[in-house]
Amino acid sequence: MILSLKNTFEQIGNATVFAKRFFKEVFIPPYEVKEFLKQCYYIGYKSLPLVAITGFIMGLVLTLQSRPTLVKFGAESWLPGMVALSLIREIAPVITALICAGKISSGIGAELGSMKVTEQIDAMEVSAINPYNYLVVTRILACTLMVPILVFFADAIGIIGGYVGINIHGDVNFYRYLTQIIQSLEFLDVIPATIKTFFFGYFIGMIGCYKGFNASNGTESVGRAANSAVVTASLSIFIIDMVAVQITDLFF
Amino acid sequence: MEKQSGYTWKLGMFVTIGLLLFIMAIYFIGKQKNLFGSTFNITSQFKTVSGLEVGNNVRFSGINIGTVEEIRLINDSSVVVSMVIKDEVREFIKTDARASIGSDGLMGDKVLTISPGMKSQKSVENNGAIASIDGVEMADLMKSVKKSVDNIGVISDELAIFSHSMNNGNGALARLVRDDKMANSVSNTLSNLESGTKGFSENMEAAKSNFLFRGYFKKKEKEKEKKQEELKEKKEEQQEKAAKEKEAKAKEEKEKQEKAKEEKEKQEKQKAEDAKKDAEKK
Repeated sequence: MILSLKNTFEQIGNATVFAKRFFKEVFIPPYEVKEFLKQCYYIGYKSLPLVAITGFIMGLVLTLQSRPTLVKFGAESWLPGMVALSLIREIAPVITALICAGKISSGIGAELGSMKVTEQIDAMEVSAINPYNYLVVTRILACTLMVPILVFFADAIGIIGGYVGINIHGDVNFYRYLTQIIQSLEFLDVIPATIKTFFFGYFIGMIGCYKGFNASNGTESVGRAANSAVVTASLSIFIIDMVAVQITDLFF
Repeated sequence: MEKQSGYTWKLGMFVTIGLLLFIMAIYFIGKQKNLFGSTFNITSQFKTVSGLEVGNNVRFSGINIGTVEEIRLINDSSVVVSMVIKDEVREFIKTDARASIGSDGLMGDKVLTISPGMKSQKSVENNGAIASIDGVEMADLMKSVKKSVDNIGVISDELAIFSHSMNNGNGALARLVRDDKMANSVSNTLSNLESGTKGFSENMEAAKSNFLFRGYFKKKEKEKEKKQEELKEKKEEQQEKAAKEKEAKAKEEKEKQEKAKEEKEKQEKQKAEDAKKDAEKK
């Protein structure tokens, strides 16, 4: 019992050291620009279709689902504002982050895990390349910067989905729809949600890398690393979200 | 290198569009809050702002033209509200415009409304001040309602006393309402009064034909006739002659009528005496 508790704390300590190392090494040259851009391409551009489809469906479904309740109150004209508000504040960041956790975190975990198992990481160290700098820093940085941009796309596409959803039942001009959305939004809705996504991105990358980097020897540990990366990343997204919303609520 | 350029342009496009979306959102929200574009400030002094908050809309002729920027107390009975307004509507807001605080719908936010003035032709200046109209406060409304309710209380008290005395008292009015005998005697009195006044009018007719008063009434008639003649003189002579003939006829007829009246008088005097006797019997 005490041993397992100690193990848990040791893992958390290791992860903290791992996370701290990122902030130290990100400023230390050599900067792996080429690898960073490549990772950005894989993480950002390649995830876009997935995020776009999810965002569109979320906007559409959210509109259709909230419509009956608002109609009951005779507040159907508030539908665009409400959908945009819930999309931008909560749903688009969290759904996008979860999708990325599934797609990116598992990918990174499996990739680094297999590199670790096949001793490629050790080989890098031997050939005087810092594996942390080359593999981990580029991936975490790419994640941190790309997830917010994916969230912007999800917001925009979700709003278009909401427009389609509204036009299933009624007829609203697109310009009028956009005006209603802009009217209901404030900076307070956009800025905290955006800051939150950087943390999502950072934790998705960091957990994927940590799980992969610390995979034990053996082929099955690759699968385990990928699996636990997804689970931990998803869980951490919800925890970060809760903390972020509480902090926002506290200050504003 | 070729392989790299294969994905970098896609990555560049992805990042550019993503950031562009974000910047657009920020720009439009900022525009909504009047952060960009030229604006000007005006202030207005209120006794109370009834829950107006920073960021509430400012309306002019029903159009949103700006937002409330600051609300601050300057002493214990006045609040200065300063608002940011789009520069393009400045020419329409004159120096005698007035600000008032209303509410947007039943449950909506408070809205600061600027209503146009009547006389001034001068546009308001930047950082200028405009007058304010005090809105209808719930407390004031309640005060006036209380006053009229108090009055109603007094009135209903008196009404209760009045109706009580009507039902239970022995005053003339109460008896009139409740007592059948009283009602009958009143109706008899009224019928006597009626016949009495009839007799009186007959007396008057008699007086007219009496030789003592006849002169007086005839004078009156002659004056009337003279007036008519004067009117008719202005008309043609033929009509004048015809009128004179008519007058002559009229005189003859009157003399006949007077004779008839003398006969009637005698009859009616008898009737009046009969009525008096009836009343005395009752």
